[in-house]
Amino acid sequence: MVNYGGDEVSALVVDIGTSSLRAGYAGDDTPKAIIPTSYGCHISPAEEDVAMDVEGGDATAPKKSAKMYIGQSGPSMWRSGMEVRNPMSSTDGLIHDFNAIPPLIEHALVDVMRCVPSEHPILVTEPAWNTPANRERMAEIMFEEFQVPAFYIANTGVLNAFAAGRGTALVIDVGKTMASVTPVVDGFVLRKGLTYSTLPSLVHLHARHVLLSPTSMRRGIDLIPHQLIASKMPVDVNAPPRYTLREDRVVGTTESWRQWAEAREVDEWVQSVGGILEQGWNDQLAASRPPRPYEFPTGYNTYFGIERLQVGEQFFYYSPAMVNSNPNLPKNLPQLITETLRSCDAELRQVLAGNVVLTGGGTLFTGFVDRLATELNRTFPHAKIHAPGNPIERRYGGWLGGSILASLGTFHQLWISKEEWQEHGKAIVGQRCK
Amino acid sequence: MAASAADVRSALSIPEPSSTPGPSQPKKTAAPPTRKPEGISRELYSLIGPSAPSLAAQLAKPRLKQKPNLGGGGKVKWECRAFKNPGRQDSLELKHWVKATTEPDAEYPFAKYNVQPTAYTYSQDEYTRFLEDKEWTKEETDYLFSVVRDYDARWYIVHDRYEYPGGVPRQLEDLKDRYYSVCRKLVRNRPWAGDEASKAALISSFQFDKERELTRKKYIVSLENRTPEQIAEEEALYIEIKRLEQNERRFKKERDELLRTIAGIDSGLPDVVEDEMVMNLTIDTKKKKRGSMAMDIDSPSTPAMPSSAPIPKRPQTAKNTAFDVANCIVRTEPPSTVPITKAAHQPAHLRSYKLPVPKAATSQKIGQALTELGINHTRLVMPTRQNIAHLEALLDAAAALVETKRVVDKVDYDIKLAKTRLGMREGQGAEGEAPAAPAESMEVDESNDIGEPVGEDGRAQSVVSTRSARSRKHTRRSMSISSVDTSGTAATRTKRQKRS
Repeated sequence: MVNYGGDEVSALVVDIGTSSLRAGYAGDDTPKAIIPTSYGCHISPAEEDVAMDVEGGDATAPKKSAKMYIGQSGPSMWRSGMEVRNPMSSTDGLIHDFNAIPPLIEHALVDVMRCVPSEHPILVTEPAWNTPANRERMAEIMFEEFQVPAFYIANTGVLNAFAAGRGTALVIDVGKTMASVTPVVDGFVLRKGLTYSTLPSLVHLHARHVLLSPTSMRRGIDLIPHQLIASKMPVDVNAPPRYTLREDRVVGTTESWRQWAEAREVDEWVQSVGGILEQGWNDQLAASRPPRPYEFPTGYNTYFGIERLQVGEQFFYYSPAMVNSNPNLPKNLPQLITETLRSCDAELRQVLAGNVVLTGGGTLFTGFVDRLATELNRTFPHAKIHAPGNPIERRYGGWLGGSILASLGTFHQLWISKEEWQEHGKAIVGQRCK
Repeated sequence: MAASAADVRSALSIPEPSSTPGPSQPKKTAAPPTRKPEGISRELYSLIGPSAPSLAAQLAKPRLKQKPNLGGGGKVKWECRAFKNPGRQDSLELKHWVKATTEPDAEYPFAKYNVQPTAYTYSQDEYTRFLEDKEWTKEETDYLFSVVRDYDARWYIVHDRYEYPGGVPRQLEDLKDRYYSVCRKLVRNRPWAGDEASKAALISSFQFDKERELTRKKYIVSLENRTPEQIAEEEALYIEIKRLEQNERRFKKERDELLRTIAGIDSGLPDVVEDEMVMNLTIDTKKKKRGSMAMDIDSPSTPAMPSSAPIPKRPQTAKNTAFDVANCIVRTEPPSTVPITKAAHQPAHLRSYKLPVPKAATSQKIGQALTELGINHTRLVMPTRQNIAHLEALLDAAAALVETKRVVDKVDYDIKLAKTRLGMREGQGAEGEAPAAPAESMEVDESNDIGEPVGEDGRAQSVVSTRSARSRKHTRRSMSISSVDTSGTAATRTKRQKRS
């Protein structure tokens, strides 16, 4: 047992992302519980007023008394007057609403995994740019609310490198709202080289714009979720859809739920048809790619040719027109990578370029890996990309790395125990989790 | 319907056989129920009966293939036990599953991996005495040492996390330089328990040359900043220099050989070897610089051509020569152009087996020529050394002759062709208006013929008279040695040949 370096102490690993929260036992290869981070809730008008008054603080989230709908049948189920919230910030991918975190974690650990958190050490992940206040708050939640015996907070960049079996790596992580490039050396993040941007949000907005704006071929597409459709008839390609709305539901639908549902429709479309040209943008090549059919919940169906490739192109290249019209575009991947490598030591650049680890659900676009290889090889002919072919490993690389780390025998001296927490307070978190 | 023996007897009223059976009946012996011995198969036992050799039965005891013994054998009891990690200062007890047989108070197996590197500290007194530096304050040095300790001297991380409030921005090399110089001074000035060698080794492990590191980094950056054109140019230059080096090597080798064959001296050999070494050195540095780029056209590590190695040669002293002459010993030089390999080795042989033969391409013609002269070169009656030398000379001469003949014939033919054409042109000029195209084509033909006389045969024949073509064929066929005159006489000559 010692030979493999593993020593199971039945630790739990919790990895919170913008789109989903992953939880499972350390030592497993797949998280046991994967629940959406978005949740639905009912807020009474009085509470809403209170929340409005202290906008920006922690109080925007509902009190515990408010009814929360979490999990697979949480936000995706239509309920009259249900709002949809996400505790993660859409501008930096950090937790900005800690009130919702304990119910979410509790749902994953207790309701889905059926385990008692106070019996297990828990390892939580954080983005590399997490603030000290945030991680201390997380430690507080774990020790005070869940009464865990031991706690550790680890960096997703480092964990992704570990999941790929590397101590030194350039981790390119494209999630739901954030894309980041993290240089990891000997299991530590080089903070000066870390870069991130809200690139995936931009890609999402672009895709939404593509769908909503009418073209010469078709009208703008109605992004009406299937929860609001009573019946529909099959129609020909490009024919106007024939469906009837559930009028009873339209009234009770909140704005946040509608946005959430429309965003999901856009994501589904992107994930089904979106692609990236492997060798860079080329109009002829793009036109020669076969168009793909897609049917929306309204029954409207059409073929998407060049548009589906334009969506993925935003990850790598902005057209000059786009750059001119909005100057504050988030940095795209080549810019992020270049900036990161430039701020690293000259000696490290070749090493990092030879150990690129690609992770995150946003990298599952068709052709993403090949395109990235093309872009990298321009400057680094020896660049090597590690991208797990298994989608589970690709999407939950951070969790997997945490699972590996927390099951190592040599790791167990690093846990912050409850005793230490009570003795040293918040300072111990920054001291121990470097 | 089968009738049993009892039925037959009753039908024929034969009395029931008594206890004494007839002769045809095999004697039934009520065999005592012998037990089949262990270790012998049932079938075999029924064949050989109880007379089975008891020894063999005991020896060959068949059994199934033994199950592998995978250790333990028997159930292993596991327990969930709380354990203490000696690497921790607190009293945290985690639980893990261990075999129940392990000692309850055994040390945690992973504790041995928790090794702390030796951290250097210094007192205020030591600092003021040895470690003063105008660039660094004591506080910042303290801070540096704490960061280095925190990150176990992982310098990239140390540099990344180094944020001294109010301090000047420092480079990685500055940090390393300060740290190592402090360590060096501490080791040098403190009383040392061990011997001098270990102290020197420790000091040298803290050696750090800041200037050199900075230059190295600068080189790396400049290497990275090359444009693709520069890289391509460098590559081309590299290949060019390789080619030049190869040429030089070949030239040296040839010169050497020449000297050896002509003057019989082994000169320049050390020169060549030395040169190789120098060249290898330059290539090595090149390789190092280029990293692992696998683009060198030939591996420099291969030793220089084995052929240039000195050939073991007996010194040609006067005494030796006299001895050889007296005993009719002729020494043959091994061919020095081919490398000394197994394939090139010539074993002892009879001279008659190695008679010189003309080259395959011209052997037929040479044979014809020699036959014409009445010389039979295939059977040498007395293949002595001189005879063989003569034969070789003869074959060489014949080959030269044939070659000369071929050239002469060609020139003759060209002259004849040109003459015919001249005649035709004059005739056409007399006729007056000649069609332009043929004339032009003829001109082309002519020029072509001069340029490449053989390749244009077909076209030339279409224009010139058939007669000349035929005569040409004749010349080609007749390989008479004496036919050095024009091909006009070729026909008669062939006739004569036939007669003779």
